Amino acid sequence: MKELKILYLYPDILDLYGDIGNIKVLKYRLEQRGFKAIIDNYSINDEKPDFKNYDIVFAGGGADNEQKILAEDLIKYKEDIKQAKDAGVFFLLICGAYQLFGKYYKGVEGNIIPGLEVFDYYTEANPSRSNRCIGNIVIEAELNGNKTKVIGFENHGGQTFGIEEPFGKVLFGNGNKFGDTVEGFMQKNVIATYLHGPLLSKNPALADYIIKYCLERRYNEVIELEPLNDELENKCRLQLLQRFLEK
Amino acid sequence: MGFLTILFTKIIIFMLKIAKKNGGNLPGKLAYKMNKNIIKYFKLNCPVIAVVGTNGKTMTNNSVNRILTQSGANVISNLQGNNMETGILSLLIRNSSLTGKIKADYLTLEVDESYLPVVFKDLRLDTLVVLDFFRDQLDRVGEVESLILKINEFLKTYKGNLVLNNDDPNVARLGKANPENENIFYFSVDKYKFASEEMKEAGEGKFCPFCSTKLEYAYYQYAHIGKFKCPKCNFGNNEIYKLIKNVDLENRTFEIDDELFKIQFNSIYSIYNFAAAITATSLYNIKTEDVKQALENFVLNNGRQEKLVIKECETVINLAKNPTGANVSLRLVNEDNDPKDVLFVLNDNVADGKDVSWIYDINFSNLNNVNRIITSGTRAYDMAICVKNSGFPVSQIEAYLDLGEAVKALYSTKCKKYAISNYTAIQDTRQAIKSF
Ligand SMILES: [Zn+2]
Repeated sequence: MKELKILYLYPDILDLYGDIGNIKVLKYRLEQRGFKAIIDNYSINDEKPDFKNYDIVFAGGGADNEQKILAEDLIKYKEDIKQAKDAGVFFLLICGAYQLFGKYYKGVEGNIIPGLEVFDYYTEANPSRSNRCIGNIVIEAELNGNKTKVIGFENHGGQTFGIEEPFGKVLFGNGNKFGDTVEGFMQKNVIATYLHGPLLSKNPALADYIIKYCLERRYNEVIELEPLNDELENKCRLQLLQRFLEK
Repeated sequence: MGFLTILFTKIIIFMLKIAKKNGGNLPGKLAYKMNKNIIKYFKLNCPVIAVVGTNGKTMTNNSVNRILTQSGANVISNLQGNNMETGILSLLIRNSSLTGKIKADYLTLEVDESYLPVVFKDLRLDTLVVLDFFRDQLDRVGEVESLILKINEFLKTYKGNLVLNNDDPNVARLGKANPENENIFYFSVDKYKFASEEMKEAGEGKFCPFCSTKLEYAYYQYAHIGKFKCPKCNFGNNEIYKLIKNVDLENRTFEIDDELFKIQFNSIYSIYNFAAAITATSLYNIKTEDVKQALENFVLNNGRQEKLVIKECETVINLAKNPTGANVSLRLVNEDNDPKDVLFVLNDNVADGKDVSWIYDINFSNLNNVNRIITSGTRAYDMAICVKNSGFPVSQIEAYLDLGEAVKALYSTKCKKYAISNYTAIQDTRQAIKSF
């Protein structure tokens, strides 16, 4: 039986915005097709994970004050994480994790929280603490050459700069900064984004894009994914795209 | 100026009465517009008891009211849950003389956490009850931590009675806000039948607020509510003023100070609400018999564990506006062995929070004898997808944007029904079910 191994970073801390749903969606879509999903959790005080031994590394968003505690922990693995990324392991990073993988996060008082420096982008807190990019968001991403609308919810005070390869074009909502035209960061094996929702729950094509990439990489063969019953997801997309885009 | 404001808004109330309209928060809104310091003008000679917390405010405030009323007192309370500044103002205006005098033996209020400092800037406060803090409408309220810091700040200069839930680390920490306050009363509930060693539902209490060490739990009652301690600085090890023992949800009884109390509710979180109400009222020398009598007959028919029979089907309606609310509602479902259908109604209006991703913090893994899950509300499909991804069979999930259709589908079979709705959906859900 073919399988994928997922490393879920800090599920007990980066757990604020329902991002765990992404793991549930991946697991569901793998198992429905007869693949096995192996999910390992890593958190503070656990043994060092072997990053390059995984197919997907996932991390979500958490509470601001708890995020600092784990930044100090994760930075120990900076080099291992870079190696895993260069080896092609897929990184799915949401919100706080997206910021953490950049160069730094500059707080309201100008204090710098160093990032993992896996990527060159950086984030600065919005001077007004109460002014955050909050709301439903729709972006258009390109997945294997197919333009795909991605629906989510953003809630971030941080404004991210220095993005050369965005995840998508903003059709509705803010994006990396207030009123931005682009959202997130994307490479062949990386999606870093502010989209909660959870991201994969209303975007099955995106979930399948990640699954296909990971299976093909691990088994070194072309894999066509069997279509699933996505009736609920399709109805949901129809309803929400109509609501957000047709005004 | 205060006199004129009260006079004017009283006329408004009178006119609303003639027009047979209740007006809700309108008088308070008008009064506040006319005079931002209007609260100062009310003269109160009775104790004021306030309840804050993410979940359980309405039930706790109602039971405090019931206990005090049972003792023969004249009690004024915002029983319907109008808990923001304007709602509380409306209550004061309705119950005051033109000179702002309020005649009552007690004023009991549930207060929205974020309005606490504003409401009590100029209003007396004798006893403050803090129930719990859960993640709640993040896009509207913000992170729980900033809310707790706000209340902590308020408490630094507060010297009145402080009733705290010692089983929630984020509540217990408030006991240290003002080291000079000697009137702190912690309550706790002994381990109940379905308590667990692992946290089963999303929660907040992970690190010690004083030394950042990971907290250790002997057990979890629900979410992060349970017996905890900081292994490093001993935070949590407080002297308990009222301890609820021998919780028996099947027979709906519990014990405090060797006295047996009977209640009409069968959920662990309602036990915490009663613990809070009993602790608060115990500070006013209420006879135990009155407390027992009040609680034995206490029910709430407003979508909080509301019980009905519709088309011969036993039906329970419950409000759930955040993950913990939904999880404790599901505990009720799962602690009931009878076959049943569950209706979830999820809206994403401003008052609900527009972000619905919190539904992925609902624990669907222990579903007990659930035949179908039906979803409705403006986010019916989001809810259905969430249930599907938890592993519940797609063939047993039905999603309807239209609430009427959803209720029709719910009663298309004969078995027990549970309806769980979020904030703006609850009254519509009650109406749709009652009129079916
Ligand atoms: Zn400590």
